Amino acid sequence: MADKGNDPLALWQTMLGEMEKGFNAFASKAVSSPEFSKAMNQAGGASAGAQKQMSEMMEKYLGGLNMPTRAQMVDMAVRLQSIEAQLAEIKSLLMQPGAAAGAQSAGLPPSPRPPRTRRPPGEQT
Amino acid sequence: MNASAPFDQLASIPERIQTEVQRAIQRSIKGVEYFTTSGPTLGSTPKDVLSVRGTMSLYHYRPQADEIYRVPILIVMATTNRGYILDMVPGQSFIEFLLKRGYDVYMLDWAAPKPEEKGLRMEDYVLDFIPYCVRRVQEDSGEHDVTVIGYCFGGVLSLLYASIFHDGPMKNLICFTTPIDFREMTLFQNLSDRRYFDVDHLVDSIGNVPPEIIFSSFEMLRPASRAVSQVQLWENIWNDDYVKSYRMFDRWATDTLPLAGEYFRAITKDLMWDNKLYNGTMSVGGHRCDLAEIRVPILHAVAEHDHIVPYEAARHLIPKVGSTDKEEVILKGGHVSLVAGANAVRRLWPKLDSWLGGRST
Repeated sequence: MADKGNDPLALWQTMLGEMEKGFNAFASKAVSSPEFSKAMNQAGGASAGAQKQMSEMMEKYLGGLNMPTRAQMVDMAVRLQSIEAQLAEIKSLLMQPGAAAGAQSAGLPPSPRPPRTRRPPGEQT
Repeated sequence: MNASAPFDQLASIPERIQTEVQRAIQRSIKGVEYFTTSGPTLGSTPKDVLSVRGTMSLYHYRPQADEIYRVPILIVMATTNRGYILDMVPGQSFIEFLLKRGYDVYMLDWAAPKPEEKGLRMEDYVLDFIPYCVRRVQEDSGEHDVTVIGYCFGGVLSLLYASIFHDGPMKNLICFTTPIDFREMTLFQNLSDRRYFDVDHLVDSIGNVPPEIIFSSFEMLRPASRAVSQVQLWENIWNDDYVKSYRMFDRWATDTLPLAGEYFRAITKDLMWDNKLYNGTMSVGGHRCDLAEIRVPILHAVAEHDHIVPYEAARHLIPKVGSTDKEEVILKGGHVSLVAGANAVRRLWPKLDSWLGGRST
């Protein structure tokens, strides 16, 4: 096996690791400055405002083309998800112990319910 | 010094060159495969959906032992990320580990809040979602007692719940990497500096806080790491295990969730700005959240090299809770490797099992 000190691949990996550490440390210091916070938040604030305006414009434009807006598509998705949620609730009710017969008639396997008698390995007899 | 060492090195050079040439060929083949195949299927441990309410989902994992502990576990996932970090693939799934060790496991997981859920407040999470899930776990298991495990911000929500419902059914509380002193979350502190960060303008303008903002905040903590990890991926692309692991973690890390606007506003003002949980002035829906009111057995697992929740931000939890049966365990690893991956399999999971087994009967 080659000595790690002479192995170019091991040297490359060490260098990469050191570069990562160094750059991360440098960046950590940079992002801790109040100037960074100010610049980031100015850019972020402007971007949020622009995003809101753009969204309002797109809504009007799509309305003009007689096409559904994002909000309307989201509404439809919400309704679909609500139906899925209700199906999940019904399935869960069918799978409750008291509803075992109903679950079996619906073709759903009942959840196995092992006894709650387990003890930690050190306490077992 | 071994006099034959230089000769051994010379002898190994042809072998080394051969290995590297083989790896270079494998890199080309596997590199193409990487882009033409999808990653491993994650979160596949069999489970039933007990409830879905908008952003909230409650799952029950099907038991995998013949005999289970009396007290069921409810895992409360962090609101910024998906719960499958705790259920990666068979053999590397925390959930599967718990099931095989005889625990009855439920998970409160989150989906992206929809635009109309932008009004969800801290109250909805702490006074509605968690108590609702605890009740459903009680009904489904037939047991009064419940152990709660909270990961990262899921731990903060669990603490808020535990401090308000301190006479409730919580039997044990386990927190993973849970911040208490938000002054020590240095980058997040700086990004949310109240002199420059207008949280009201942001939330009023865009509603829910997009995942890109959350993801880029995490990335800023270690800006070089993504580029380096891609170089390392190329170097190791011949190694199927490495690639599988990379794909699992990379997919999870980039699968960040948006945060409900009002909830984000409360986190920023109450925790980031006023550090109310640490100062003991936090309240949710008019209920005071005093950590000293928590008296159940509690375990807090923190990571030695956590860049997201530094130890300084997490270390006050155990001293501040009122429990007498309490323990902090500091383990090697980072924020994610503490709970998932090979490091967790060796360190955290067995520790948790040995702590919880005796308290689950």
